Parts: sequence; structure tokens; C-alpha cells
Amino acid sequence: MKFLKKYKKPIIVIAIIVVVVIVLGALKPTEQEMLSCASPEMQKMIREDATRTRKRVTVTYESLIVVNYLSLSTSGAQEISEHYVGFVRNVYPADEGPMKVVGQMVNYTYRMLGCGENLMHGAKLTILLTTLTVIFGLLLGTVLALGKISKNKILSGISSGYIFFFRGTPLLIQLFVVYFTVPGIFGFAWRDIFPASDAEAVYKGAFTAALIAFALNSGAYCAEIVRSAIQSIDKGQYEAAKALGMTYGQTMGLIIVPQSIRRMIPNVSNEFIMILKDASLVFAISLMDITTISKNIMTSEGSYLVFIPALVIYLVITAFFGFIFNKIEKRFSVYE
Amino acid sequence: MSENYEYILKTEHVSKHFGKLEVLKDINLSVKKGEVICIIGPSGAGKSTFLRSLNQLEKITSGKIFIRDELFLHREKDHTVDRLPHEKQQELLLEMGMVFQRFNLFPHMTVLQNVYEAPVVVRKKKKEEGKAHAMELLTRVGLADKADEYPSRLSGGQQQRVAIARALAMNPEIMLFDEPTSALDPELVGDVLNVMKELADDGMTMLVVTHEMGFAREVADRVLFMADGIIAEEGTPEQIFTNPQVERTKSFLNAVLEA
Ligand SMILES: Nc1ncnc2c1ncn2[C@@H]1O[C@H](COP(=O)(O)OP(=O)(O)OP(=O)(O)O)[C@@H](O)[C@H]1O
Ligand SMILES: [Mg+2]
Repeated sequence: MKFLKKYKKPIIVIAIIVVVVIVLGALKPTEQEMLSCASPEMQKMIREDATRTRKRVTVTYESLIVVNYLSLSTSGAQEISEHYVGFVRNVYPADEGPMKVVGQMVNYTYRMLGCGENLMHGAKLTILLTTLTVIFGLLLGTVLALGKISKNKILSGISSGYIFFFRGTPLLIQLFVVYFTVPGIFGFAWRDIFPASDAEAVYKGAFTAALIAFALNSGAYCAEIVRSAIQSIDKGQYEAAKALGMTYGQTMGLIIVPQSIRRMIPNVSNEFIMILKDASLVFAISLMDITTISKNIMTSEGSYLVFIPALVIYLVITAFFGFIFNKIEKRFSVYE
Repeated sequence: MSENYEYILKTEHVSKHFGKLEVLKDINLSVKKGEVICIIGPSGAGKSTFLRSLNQLEKITSGKIFIRDELFLHREKDHTVDRLPHEKQQELLLEMGMVFQRFNLFPHMTVLQNVYEAPVVVRKKKKEEGKAHAMELLTRVGLADKADEYPSRLSGGQQQRVAIARALAMNPEIMLFDEPTSALDPELVGDVLNVMKELADDGMTMLVVTHEMGFAREVADRVLFMADGIIAEEGTPEQIFTNPQVERTKSFLNAVLEA
């Protein structure tokens, strides 16, 4: 109840958006309804295709929450193609004019989001790679930070060297080293770490290499974030904990780290957004992220407009995670 | 634990260097159970360093520290010559509570959790028991109604009283106070001093570094005047405040009592 009161406005806004989307989604035409709008000629071919092994018509049906996109094209001597956009009980032809652009945008967005594909595609790949990178980067960064502030000269030397190296070289080259140089030297291929029967082995191998390179790189940046957060905690906190008889482990675990986490959040949020954008570098190893897909669409279809929905997708992801981090920060700030 | 000891706390020839700087020089002090000792003296005299050396926030350079007549630690030239086993040391250190000038409450915990956390994780008390005891202590320092607040919502004086409750929650035999009222607005000092007075009346052994001469005069059994790392003069409040013998004590008292 208290919760409802506190977040009254955002809850109402979100509820309205959800209701509108559900209603619009329910009102959009079905695939059958879309198909029934196709030209009689095309419909005839589709019916005939049902009994043929070699299809003449390629049917692409894409449903994007509240809009539908249907693309029909034939292969052969005289190619014909038809496109339709469905929205709120209506089906609009999308072969020319503004509706064509709308249709293309729906189609590009659908593909860049990675809809109808597994996790290794489009926005899903970008988000997955970014999230895993931040998680591993933070774990590695914590180890490096504790190493760097430790009194052990060897540990702090190793940590400092690591951080210097990964912050002092370009991420793209680091990615190439992990993807090409390391398997080259050690004589293996990234795809071989997955079973040969796996049709996606090449992709998964490249993703693994990218994740390793990104996490190693992010670890160096996170180390600085964690270190500065830990060192920003007042010395008096250690002394109070010690005077109460807490061990070093208890002091770190119960007193220092919880306070450091709060101070880390804004910087981790920044790091997350940096990685999200850097993740577009995976186009260099042919992973199908948002950037690669948009580039491919540009090359194969000559559609220079594709980059606009690409920017919007990135912005929406950034805004969404910015919002989440903001909430987390508020959560942790109750005591300030 | 045995109650057959003469001194609850004793130091012999304690000295402390920070690099070349000799901050404590040959400090000898014996404290009986229930005694209230106030330590006064100019800034930089080494008062804080002395308190911090007692509960091991600083490592002494040389000298001996006894707790309940047992040799707790003996160091010479920055090397430990003799000491109790580590576990025994930890156990005895829990008998010393400390209150800091800047409170050092844990900002991410509520007032109640500040008080019960250490008894639960260090003394392995049951959480319910710890909370009940914490509530009792908060009532005692007059802050039961603030139990669920975060420290940042409290005034300095209230925070310091929570800090006292937090230290008391470990059931210490000795309480060390390092200028507990120096960071407070003048109108908040009284509440904290009253809590400390009650503690003294209840028989707590206390070492209090303070600039509150009125408090020292009223509550202390013994007053130490520290300057330049030595105990320059010691005596009853009566002796120190009305009839100081040492020149430095006189000029210090003149300066503070005039201000
Ligand atoms: N960690 C440290 N490293 C180096 N020098 C220190 C350290 N702590 C204290 N000192 C020095 O030791 C001397 C005594 O300091 P201490 O804090 O014990 O004095 P004090 O009597 O408590 O003074 P005040 O009334 O200002 O609190 C000072 O000269 C101080 O600069
Ligand atoms: Mg001091």
C-alpha cells in the first residue's frame, strides 16, 4: 500500500501504456486477415504452393507488438512482390509512398531487435553481451581492486599492470587478439568449443570470444570504479567496526562493501552504457548485433533509412537501463 | 571470568612513534575497576593516540599493556615481545567499548541495527535477543522513538547517544571516549554528558578525553593532564583544577577556563 502511494504517478503511467499496448496488440489483424488482402493472383499462387515442394512465393510475416508486416514475393522470371502493414483492424498496402517507409521501418526494427531469432541476434545479443560483460567485469574488477589496494606489492603490481594494459589499448584490437591471435597461437578455433552438430557453433564461438574480450576490458575499468568506491569510505567506519570486534571479513562484508555499492552505482551505470555502445564493435567479428544487421540491410537493400531505427533502438535500451540504475540508486540511498 | 585482579587496565612505559615523531613518551597508568578518569590537555598532546593504543587501533612502539593484570601486549622497538594468544586478545578487546568524536555510526543501517549488529555477528547473540537489548539501551539513552530511523536523520547529539548505546551493547567493562562532545553544537552537549554521567554513576570504568572541564570536575575520580606525549600532571579534580602544581597545567587551565 505504501509502495503504491509512493510510486503513484509512474504506476499509473505504466498501467496506461500497458493497457493501450495490449488493446492495440489485440486489435491488430491476424496473419490470415493480412493474407486475405493480397492480390487474387498472389493468393492463387500461395494456394498452389501448398501442394508443391518448390515454393514460388516467399511469405514473411512479422508481428511487432502492435503492428504487423507481411511481405510476399515470388521468385522466377517475373518477380512480383507485395507488402502490407496491419494496424488496429486495418491492413494497409505498403508498396509505395509513406506506407512503404512505415513497412520498411517495421521490418528493419523487427530484424534489428532479433525477433524470431535466438538470443544471439540483434538487440538481444547486444543486451546479453552488455549485461554479462558488466557482471563479469564487476567480479573481475572487485578482485583487481582488492589486489590494487592490498599491501602485497606483487598483487598490487599485477593489478596495476593489468589495468594499465587494458585501459591503454583499444578494445577493438583486444577483441581481435582474443578472436584471432589467441586461437592462432594455441591452435584451436572458437567454434570448436561447441559441438559440431550445433548449427550456431560459429556464432556461439564468436560470442564467447567477444564476451571474454569485453569482460577482460571492462574488468580494468570496473577495478577503478570499485577501488575508488571502497577508498571513499571514511576510515572511521573501519575503526568503529574494529572497535566493536568485527573481523576484517565482517567489516568488509557488512560495513564497507554495502556502502561502496551505493557509491558505485552511478559509475557502473556509465560503464554499462559505454559497453552497450562498444558492443557494436562485434560487427568486426560478424556477430549479428544491431549494428551488423543495420549495416547488412544497408548493403543488401540500399536502404539508408535503416540507421534511424537503429539509433532509436539504442536510445530506448539506454533509457531503459538508465531508468533501472536510477531506481537501484534510489533504493540504496534511503539512508542518506 | 576471574574478578581477582587489582587493575582492570594498566600501561607501563608505553610510547608511540609516527615515523620520527614521538607522540607518546613513557605513559604509565593504572586504572581500577569503576574508576572514571578524564584526560585533558592541549591539541596534539597525544590524548587520542593514547586511547587508540589501548584498544589496538594503533600499535604501540614499545611498552606493556595489561588487562585485568594479564600481560596483554609487550612491544619493544616496534616488535612484539610478548602477548596473549590472539583469541584471548580479541576476547579482552571486546571488554573495551569506544566512542569517537565523529560518532562513526554505520549510515546504511537503522539506529536499532547499528546497536544490535555487533552483538549478533560478533558475540553471536540471537537476533531477537540482540534487538530487545538494543531497544533497552536506546530507551536508556532516550532514543527509543528513533530506533527505525537512519542516523542521517538524527542530530549530532542523538547520533552520539546512539554511538554510546552501540558500544554498550557489547557489554564492555571499560568505555573509552575520545572527545565525545567536541563535534556537537553547544546546546546538544548536555544530553550526551548526562548519559555519560549516568554511566559513571552505574559504576562503569571510563577513560574520557574531554574539553568539558565542568564534566571532568564533577564526574572524574582522577584527572590526567597530558602535554607533549607525557602525563604532565595527575590528581583528583580538586587538586588539578584548584591547585595545579605544574606550570603547563596552570597555563592550559587559564587558557581554557577563560575562554
Ligand atoms: N596516523 C598518524 N600519522 C602521523 N601522525 C599522527 C597520526 N595520528 C596522530 N598523529 C600526530 O600525533 C600527534 C598527537 O595526535 P593526537 O591526535 O593523539 O592528539 P590529541 O591530543 O588527541 O589532540 P586533539 O586534542 O587535537 O585531538 C599530533 O602531532 C598528530 O599530528
Ligand atoms: Mg584527539
